[in-house]
Amino acid sequence: MKTFKLDNEPKIESGFKTPENYFDNFSARVMEQLPKEEPKTISLFSKRKTWIYAAAAILVLALTIPVVYTNFYSSSSEIDEATLENYISYHSTVSDADLVNLLDEKDIQKINVDLNIDDKLIENELSQDSNLEHYILN
Amino acid sequence: MQEEKEFIQELLNPKTQNQAFQKLLKEYQKPLYNHIRNIVLIHDDADDVLQNTFVKVFQNLNKFKGESKLFSWMYRIATNESLTFLNNKAKIGGVSSETLQNKTIDNLKADIYFDGNEIQIKLQKAIIQLPEKQQLVFKMKYFEELKYEEISEILGTSVGALKASYHHAVKKIEAFVTAN
Repeated sequence: MKTFKLDNEPKIESGFKTPENYFDNFSARVMEQLPKEEPKTISLFSKRKTWIYAAAAILVLALTIPVVYTNFYSSSSEIDEATLENYISYHSTVSDADLVNLLDEKDIQKINVDLNIDDKLIENELSQDSNLEHYILN
Repeated sequence: MQEEKEFIQELLNPKTQNQAFQKLLKEYQKPLYNHIRNIVLIHDDADDVLQNTFVKVFQNLNKFKGESKLFSWMYRIATNESLTFLNNKAKIGGVSSETLQNKTIDNLKADIYFDGNEIQIKLQKAIIQLPEKQQLVFKMKYFEELKYEEISEILGTSVGALKASYHHAVKKIEAFVTAN
């Protein structure tokens, strides 16, 4: 068999053909397929932006509400001393015995310190009291 | 090169875009069609791929950096689109790309858009035996008569490697045609 050499042969064409007028209509067909509505992309983008802003606003709100909430309660949950004292002294159901029961060792010692009044003062006080005699006798 | 830069500007400017793109179509539709048809072999497939190629070119114009020539960039897109098309077609048919192409060549005789004799079909059969890259190089050099420098830009391979590749392809084709 004869050895085949590409260079010895006349140029072999691919043999591919196209339908008649194929290229006349081709560019028109492509132009029809091209994406035209560019603004659509922009509107989609801005819509997405709105969502991002909305989400950010909700996030900020969600983070602020607990802060305000706790501040409000912490400021009002502490009762000042005067109110507390008034409550105890005017509330009839709290008796002295109740208060005594609530005192512990340390509280009693504190009270002792407070009562460290010198004897002369007591004598003086008692001598002026006109009812003293009545107290002793009874 | 300066001319090409201006042309790319026209393609990117919304006011001149349509006109410039039509010019691009007129200039490249035939060479790109031949390039694609040589890979996919069937006219209807080549028509699909060529349309996809131009749509893709249009969509990616703003990404074209001008680092390569418009010509080689478009050929590159056409090549990728053709190869992807063939792979997908083979996958759908559940066969290998090579089996698919062999079957297509067997049916070429019946194709109304193929006007070839025995030697042309034999040459196509010989080409299909080659590795993918050698097939591309051979078709671009022998059928499309592109310069090595142009093929080099399109495929990103050095001229030296392309020459070697073409030489191997020719040897294998000659051996195949002699034996069959």
